[in-house]
Amino acid sequence: MTDREVESHSEVALESSDSVSADRRTVVKGIAAAGLGAGVALPTYLRGFDYSAAAYGAQTSAPVKMGFIEDESGNLSVYGIQKLHAAQLAVSEINDGKTLKGAPDIGAGVLGAAASIAKNPPVISKDGTSLAIVDDGGDKSPVDLAYVEDAEILIDSGEKGILGRELKLLSSDGQSNNAVWQQLARKLIQEDKVDVLVAGFASAEREAIRPIVDQFKQLYFYTNQYEGGVADANTFCTGPVCEQQVIPTVQYMVEKFGPKCYTIAADYNFGQLTAAWTKAFIPLVSGKIIGEEFIPLSVSEFSQVIARIQAAKPDWVMTLLVGQNHHNYYPQAAAAGLKYPMASTVNMAQGYEHKRFAPPSLARMHNAIQYQLEVPTARNRAFVKRWMTMFPDDPYIGEMAQNTYFTIHLYAKAARLAHTVDQQKVKRCLEMGWTIEAPEGSVFLEPGTHHCAHPIRLAYCDEKHNVRFVRDWPMIQAWWLQRLGVNLIRTPEFKQYTPDEDPYFKMFAL
Amino acid sequence: MDVIGVVASVAYQFCTNAAFLLLCALGLIIILGMMNIINLAHGELMMMGAYAASASYSRGAPFWLASIIAFVVVGMFGAALEMTIVRRFYGRELGALVVTWGVSLVLSQGFLLLFGPFMPPIQIPEGNIALGQYSFSYYWLAMFVVAALLVVALWWLYNHTDIGLQARATMQNPAMARALGVDTRRIYMMTFTLGAGLAGLSGALLAPTTSIMPFMGQQFVASAFITVVVGGATNVVAGAVGSSLLLSLVKTPVGFFLGAFLGSVALLLAALIIIRLLPDGISAAIQRRLDLRNRIR
Amino acid sequence: MASPFSLLNGSEDLGRGPIFWAGAAIVIALFLAVPLYLSDFAAYNVSYYLLNIPMALGLCLLWGYCGVLSFGQVAYFGIAGYAYGVIAGNLVGQSWGPALGSLGGLIAAAIVAAIFGYFVFFARVQMWILPILTLVLTLLLETFLGQTAGYQWRVGVVQLGGYNGMTGIPAFQIGAFVLSGYAFFYFAFCIALVCYVACRMLVNSRHGKVMLAIREDALRTEMLGYDIRVRQWLVFILAALLSALSGLLYVQWGNYITPSQVGLLSAALPVIWVAVGGREKLLAVVISTYALNWLNYRLASSGNQYALVIIGALLVIVMVFFPRGLVVTLADLAGRRSTLSKTSTARAHG
Repeated sequence: MTDREVESHSEVALESSDSVSADRRTVVKGIAAAGLGAGVALPTYLRGFDYSAAAYGAQTSAPVKMGFIEDESGNLSVYGIQKLHAAQLAVSEINDGKTLKGAPDIGAGVLGAAASIAKNPPVISKDGTSLAIVDDGGDKSPVDLAYVEDAEILIDSGEKGILGRELKLLSSDGQSNNAVWQQLARKLIQEDKVDVLVAGFASAEREAIRPIVDQFKQLYFYTNQYEGGVADANTFCTGPVCEQQVIPTVQYMVEKFGPKCYTIAADYNFGQLTAAWTKAFIPLVSGKIIGEEFIPLSVSEFSQVIARIQAAKPDWVMTLLVGQNHHNYYPQAAAAGLKYPMASTVNMAQGYEHKRFAPPSLARMHNAIQYQLEVPTARNRAFVKRWMTMFPDDPYIGEMAQNTYFTIHLYAKAARLAHTVDQQKVKRCLEMGWTIEAPEGSVFLEPGTHHCAHPIRLAYCDEKHNVRFVRDWPMIQAWWLQRLGVNLIRTPEFKQYTPDEDPYFKMFAL
Repeated sequence: MDVIGVVASVAYQFCTNAAFLLLCALGLIIILGMMNIINLAHGELMMMGAYAASASYSRGAPFWLASIIAFVVVGMFGAALEMTIVRRFYGRELGALVVTWGVSLVLSQGFLLLFGPFMPPIQIPEGNIALGQYSFSYYWLAMFVVAALLVVALWWLYNHTDIGLQARATMQNPAMARALGVDTRRIYMMTFTLGAGLAGLSGALLAPTTSIMPFMGQQFVASAFITVVVGGATNVVAGAVGSSLLLSLVKTPVGFFLGAFLGSVALLLAALIIIRLLPDGISAAIQRRLDLRNRIR
Repeated sequence: MASPFSLLNGSEDLGRGPIFWAGAAIVIALFLAVPLYLSDFAAYNVSYYLLNIPMALGLCLLWGYCGVLSFGQVAYFGIAGYAYGVIAGNLVGQSWGPALGSLGGLIAAAIVAAIFGYFVFFARVQMWILPILTLVLTLLLETFLGQTAGYQWRVGVVQLGGYNGMTGIPAFQIGAFVLSGYAFFYFAFCIALVCYVACRMLVNSRHGKVMLAIREDALRTEMLGYDIRVRQWLVFILAALLSALSGLLYVQWGNYITPSQVGLLSAALPVIWVAVGGREKLLAVVISTYALNWLNYRLASSGNQYALVIIGALLVIVMVFFPRGLVVTLADLAGRRSTLSKTSTARAHG
């Protein structure tokens, strides 16, 4: 990408203004970040930056302790076991002297990417009246993405472990039970005195342990995709959030299939908030919600829901369904002959429904994901190969497993830069803002909000349950907390923001 | 809105709801009626049925054969369970409840460890009919027919075979039946085997509409228990049918017009009220009616 | 009228005589001396084992002494926890807020139990129906609480929080003194001890005998002129209050509650504690509740995927081979050797 092109994109970000100008401009900026997130090569002075233990002298040889809690038994173990394997893979690589490419972005807040260069980045409407993409960079090849990036991201770190010390994974089983989660977090923090904590699938689990994390100022990574809004000086959220997924999805669906959307969402926090995001941002692309329905997590029989959707005749259906009971919707809708295109932010990438259900249950599903096993890049193929060598029986690698993987590598890199595993110092180093080359692409850790900008791809599932990527955004920021003025470096906070604190949502969604 | 479409849609939902409740409850209510034991591992037996069906289906067996295999496999497991554990709890209803709960914990987590988090899916038999703006799945309609056939088969088994006669005798008065030479232990074992087998069959039949995983049993238990409680244990077949039809009659309109959550609330409230009015369940009321008519005749 | 000590030393629970009471005194002394040999963190964990004891005692009264099994005790646990969170959360800064919240939690649980109990006991439903109905009630409560993430579910300044749960629930305080660390441990210990002593006196009282009579033969008891419906109903409410007490302690301990606290898995736990210990003896239930919570914590913290299998298998084995419960059977064995002491199992933890 040339400088001129960068300029043209900045212009886009500044255009567009009318009644809701302030809000809309930020929205546009968030999406336009796609255009910005490219082209900055890794500064040469950081290449080969060698933080080996020999250079700085290890004070101790005791292992670095990484606390890890996931659900290895009980209802949520489906995801927990995947994440555990991700952690084991990352830890074994670190102890074998490997690291992922990546470096701090000097000058906190500057969006940069270390290696991913799009040939044809998407161009967002220049009229300033809508968010339509006028040029999506040309047809995407079904077997490869349109931009070039490093094929191999795993390189030598120059030392075994972290600062010459072995990285030890203290993994414990949350049993899908929040009281157990609290006990385990306390044990890892107070008794084992872990240097870093990586934990949490469900938002409820994160909220269960976050007060404990804050009480002891524990460095904590939450690696799951979630509903967004956590502004916590001790917590780093490395998964994608609503604004990164909902808006690209809605935009594509309205453009391609039409404005009328019917939302069915799980009746709990994640579903309700994601539905609120959909409702708040669909007017920007001239779409509208013609029906919205929240379904209790215990419902597993969907004939009534299907009947109501049929009566409403939408152009497409937003399915924000979560949990094993809700997954039954897809085969039941397919059997009832429901042929509407579907969009989601959770399916395929997390629960690999397209592998678990017989075709064509998930046909015509669209999801803006940051990672799933099928991402057709050389670096991802290499990652999948490494994973499957270590865990040959694993059925799938989902986004939260990949997040856990790169997060642990990110921690190791930050600790090397800090020359210590002292939690406050590692936190300061993480707050340099980092770009790390993950299997999904370049991920940028935004320092002020402790969230990550991710490359986003629109995955499409066909009748035979093959996944193709029909559009990609090289990088989308998690901009909502920035918009609310969160800067955890200057003003530490320890709360979770909800959309009712944002006046924009009051206009459309609440 | 086209009137025919809405009517057909509500009727269709009524049928699917009733078929779902009946399939969930059938195995449970047979065991309950015969030996007054609530089998809390019922959901896990359904899960095993789905696993057996999935395993045989993915090895090339057609779906109907896979369902029969599920019936046989889970029935055999039920027989083993009866001989090793359940047998010791006859006459101790609450003890049986607790021990089967333990079995359910072991089964669900054990299956997770043995077979991993998911089984290969079963393709839902395709096809649907469209009526106005609504379309209806053949599969659920077929489920309704299958559920009805199962009920008829059970009715025939209980009323027109020797074993059925012995079973009814055992149900009414075990001591007297024993005195008349009925091997009640054998009857108990056969009942438990049949109940488990039916749970397995139901699990297999519902498997195409769901994801097959170790904790899938949990989604059926609440519906199954409510149906059984409302049905009561006096007359197994009548209770199951009456209760699933009645509950579906409550759930369908509430769920359609007021949403899914209020649909399940209505289900529980209906159950509480019916039990307050008919403490022994619908089946006792139906049985009284039948007895009365026989006496008049 | 029996004297308090004769009620305490009655025959309806494990342990009588001087050696037992000496052992009990040692155990109590060991708990009181916890700050001398356990860290802040370990005492915090012990508080968790202790705070489950009232709920287990309630179920023990209901099931072991009255013959009424409930799978839904966690419903009252959750109702009290949520009610406390709402009331105390709205009165942050007021020193009497937590006390009022606790009172509100107990009242809310009692009201729900009274209404629900009215339907089932006065309908004289068969005893196998009650566990199912209580289970369904608690699952429905979980479903209800799970869908309260929206802003319409805000009570004053407190958000019910849906599936993510209610966060930032205030700790208990007496005057300006906020209970945490060792202070909370003593608080939980005292409540558990008081509940146990009160239950023990209850079962040895006249009312306790009637409860036992109902368990042994409901019809005969009724013929003797007791209204068994009212008796069962009252015990049901008492058990709900004990569960509510555990729920209050739980939210004061973790400052947090979620709907999964009233879900299927949580509902199973009290039944397991009571069944494994021995439902017909209060002390056995106290010991097994403490020991199983400790065991579960050990299994979980070692990252053992077999935790649920082990707990489930333990339940099956105990039900099949020690139908009266593990602790009761052990106590009987010990009692056969010497009729005096049963304290050896009282110290299950390290």
